[in-house]
Amino acid sequence: MPGRKLIMNFEVTPTSHTLEAYRARGGYQTLEKALAMEPADITKEVTASGLLGHGGAAFPVGRKWGVMKPNPGEIHYLCANADEGEPGTFKDRWILENAPHLLVESMLITSYALGVRHAFVYIRGEFDLPYRRIQGAIDEAYAAGLLGRPQANGFTLDIVVYRGAGSYVCGEASGLITSIEGRKPYPRNRPPRLTVRGLFQKPTVINNVESLANITGIIRMGAEEFRKVGTPKSPGTQLISISGHIAKPGVYEVEYGYPWAKFLDEDCGGMLHGAKMKCVVPGGISTKVLTRAEIEPLNLSHESVNPAGSGLGSGGMIAIAEGTCMVRFLQVLLRFYHHESCGQCTPCREGMGWMHKIIDRIVAGKGVPEDIERLYAISHANDGTTICGMGDAAGYATVGILNKYRDEFEYFIQNKRSKFDGRLECLA
Amino acid sequence: MPRLTIDGREIEAEKGQTVMEAATAAGIFIPYFCWHPKLSVPGNCRICVVGVAEKDGGEWVEIACNMPVTEGMVVYTNSEKVRARRKATMQFITLNHPVDCGICDKAGECTLQDYHYEYNGERSVSVDAKVHATKHYALSGRIVLDNERCIQCTRCVRFTREISKSNGLGMQNRADHSLVRAVEDGSFENDPYSDNVIDICPVGALLSRSFLHKARVWYLKPAASVCPGCARGCTVNLWHRRPEWRLRAPDMRAQNANIERATPLENPAVNGPWICNKGRDLAKILGRARAEVPMLKGRPAELAGAIAQARTLIAAARKPVALVSSWGSNEELAAFKAAFGARFAAFVKADHVPEQGEVVEDAILIRADKNPNTAGARALFGAAPPSVPKDADLVLVWGEGFDFGLVPAGAKIIHLNAWLAPENGHADVFFPLSIQTERAGHYTNFAGVTGAFSKCFDKAPGVSDAEALFPALAAGAGGGE
Amino acid sequence: MKHLIPEFEKMKERFPAGFEPSLVLPCLHRIQKDRGYVADEDIDGLVAYLGVPRIQVEEVLSYYTMLRREGIGRTHLQICRNIACSMRGAEGVIDHACKRLGVKPGGTTADGKFTLSTVECLGSCGTAPVMMVNDAYHENLTLAELDRLIGELVVEERAGEKK
Repeated sequence: MPGRKLIMNFEVTPTSHTLEAYRARGGYQTLEKALAMEPADITKEVTASGLLGHGGAAFPVGRKWGVMKPNPGEIHYLCANADEGEPGTFKDRWILENAPHLLVESMLITSYALGVRHAFVYIRGEFDLPYRRIQGAIDEAYAAGLLGRPQANGFTLDIVVYRGAGSYVCGEASGLITSIEGRKPYPRNRPPRLTVRGLFQKPTVINNVESLANITGIIRMGAEEFRKVGTPKSPGTQLISISGHIAKPGVYEVEYGYPWAKFLDEDCGGMLHGAKMKCVVPGGISTKVLTRAEIEPLNLSHESVNPAGSGLGSGGMIAIAEGTCMVRFLQVLLRFYHHESCGQCTPCREGMGWMHKIIDRIVAGKGVPEDIERLYAISHANDGTTICGMGDAAGYATVGILNKYRDEFEYFIQNKRSKFDGRLECLA
Repeated sequence: MPRLTIDGREIEAEKGQTVMEAATAAGIFIPYFCWHPKLSVPGNCRICVVGVAEKDGGEWVEIACNMPVTEGMVVYTNSEKVRARRKATMQFITLNHPVDCGICDKAGECTLQDYHYEYNGERSVSVDAKVHATKHYALSGRIVLDNERCIQCTRCVRFTREISKSNGLGMQNRADHSLVRAVEDGSFENDPYSDNVIDICPVGALLSRSFLHKARVWYLKPAASVCPGCARGCTVNLWHRRPEWRLRAPDMRAQNANIERATPLENPAVNGPWICNKGRDLAKILGRARAEVPMLKGRPAELAGAIAQARTLIAAARKPVALVSSWGSNEELAAFKAAFGARFAAFVKADHVPEQGEVVEDAILIRADKNPNTAGARALFGAAPPSVPKDADLVLVWGEGFDFGLVPAGAKIIHLNAWLAPENGHADVFFPLSIQTERAGHYTNFAGVTGAFSKCFDKAPGVSDAEALFPALAAGAGGGE
Repeated sequence: MKHLIPEFEKMKERFPAGFEPSLVLPCLHRIQKDRGYVADEDIDGLVAYLGVPRIQVEEVLSYYTMLRREGIGRTHLQICRNIACSMRGAEGVIDHACKRLGVKPGGTTADGKFTLSTVECLGSCGTAPVMMVNDAYHENLTLAELDRLIGELVVEERAGEKK
């Protein structure tokens, strides 16, 4: 077992997601504790916990909250980002399906801390069971008087579950907000920050589902206890959703600092069909791939992975076996980025389509040697130049693969065929 | 008042300004496609990148249009990093653009064309096929859209949301197959300001159907003018052929004296950078069939004969009444006042009234009074409604819009009009007049702001300028002030 | 869509005041569930009900992949083709489904029973490959399972026709 657990710390049964089961595990007792605290003290506790965001950027949650500085009488909003769309990532789905009340309780505590009267759960439209589970939990909370009704200290919260309709950029905080405003989800330029002007121009905090799910635990055990889990620089745990050529794919809660290779080889059962591991995408396709050799000395913490030139991102890990064609791999990624570019700003709108065309051409055997430099140039021209992070993300993914597997691209261009058999699958 | 340095020049900005605004105010140019001073800031084209000095000596590059000025910031608009970024962005912008300047009406006044030479100058790095999209798409009855030329800056979309408020345009789809489209309920077709999107389009994506392939813009020159379409009196440019590029074939006279198009000439005191579609159609209003020959009771006459006859009628009149034109310039109105102010009982008449289907009035530009100089005329002749007493024995009608049935039986009629009309022949004396494109002058708009128009063409030989005609009629007929 | 207004009113209750434009997406979802797609008259009705500009609704409809303005087959099969699914055989699953149904991705069978689509990541990477049959996920899909599912759906369709 990869360390201590803070979220997946109960047995999943057909009824473990219900209010009754959650209460039996001590659910909503932390809410009572929180409501007896000063709101600012909750933020202080969260800041002290060192909790890092789990959406991908690992931004300190306390610092994000700190920007909002809630003023009594002013409107503030909270959004739980459940638009889990980063390929390879499906850990929020686990929380929504199995621990929806943990999210609801955490949102109640967070809303109280931030002076929020209305909160939203923005969930991707394709998620059907997760939607029914979180909506069911919210309905239960309404029936139990936890939502929609003043609590002992007068604090009242309404939560709306807002369903997306198929769009990757809605997972970007400002795209998400624009989507809730009922418009095409174009991300917004910063400044202003969303904590200053967010949903309908009101200060808004948007936190990833897993980030929020940690709040209840932090308030229950206190920041000091929370920091005892994980490493000093990466406190707590991370839900890692692992997929690809791995024997036991799924969602694992990993205590920060756990050895990476051990996690893959032992906890995840090693590679599928006993294959050799080529490389791994650490945290969603937008993080740079690391070879098996590179990860060998690393542990699963930000301070260990970041210096290796990548990141734990959203915890969407993809294991890739030897013999997998990285040209075809990148083709799938670039097709995805092209499909999901919102088309608002120039570098991403034009760049994604361009990269997609180039990689399709290479795979069709019509690549030219300059194509590799073109892909680099387009990636660099998207780095930091776009409105949201999607352009950068596509660039990182591309550069990450090109840097390490340039020979496969050169081989493909020269020989008009894959260095391997062009497979993405790992056969027995 | 934050002070900042742009390209080594220290400038003082206003609090809350962006770097783009501060630079523009100080006369420092930063290139832009999507930014527009009157529209919201989408920051989508990414060409306005500037460098900002960092404490560690590095340089941070961001878009100027969305960057608030801060005290002491040091901005570079032309550093190596900035130039490289701009060049990369230009490569993206022209990636799927057809670069068909040779057949594009925008060529010669196209921002993309200018920037290409200024900031890129190289051929495309791409060897892949361009994205194909609709061409010659009828965005409305007035505007043709070429989606391949469109760089998706959304200026047109924002115009319909923020200025004309028709919400007539939107961006459909996503990624590089996004398309500007008109809303399906016809709001854009009915937007009386729709043609402004042609001007603010930085490329040749939105073109006027009436101007399509009519002329290369460098063969034309603009003449500052005032739109006579309503009492707003928007400042406009009337584009006509440059004399050095006039067409020399014998049947080309009409083309050489044609208003090829009308565009707004920015005037913060009157119309800002916009005009309505009626103003765009000035060529139609001013290009109506003209009266070109003086007449005596419907029979063509020499100008001298007509003047002599008019003098006789004026001298003989006991109770002359004048209907003064609200399309007359301030100069013409003053000439009338000087010539006949004491002799005639004068009323200001509305030459034009709202036509069927025309927007009567709105909160943007359009005024209910469809005449350019009612204010100027009323300043001289009062605001009394026109009336013709039963005992009037001479009625002088200047301009259009008069019901000749109001003339008492037996009274004589002197009529001055620029346009061909059946009534012209009913007058005892008729003088054809010049129009505003044939002389310089001024109108005073409803708010008291005076606008100048300039001469574009020579008038036809038989046509008179009212400013000169009135003194000629008064000489010998008496009655000056 | 008029018959759905009472439902829309209930939805509105949980939103803060002034959030009418926010209802665009939930209302479109509900309308599509009702009719199978969003018709022009639905847009008209929604624009009148919410007081939003029509262009906003048109843009939203054109942008999101899950919303459509035309009807599709009675059963919508959506197979993920993103990386994790492709690494677990999605490309073969898609080919097989195309052959089995005689359509290309995006196509509808001649009898109007099935529409086959390929989609990007459905968040089911750990149980790849995945196919959505209307709203329901079918995970760890194999070719045999795909055949069985399609077979079952065909039988259901026939039963539905007899009724």
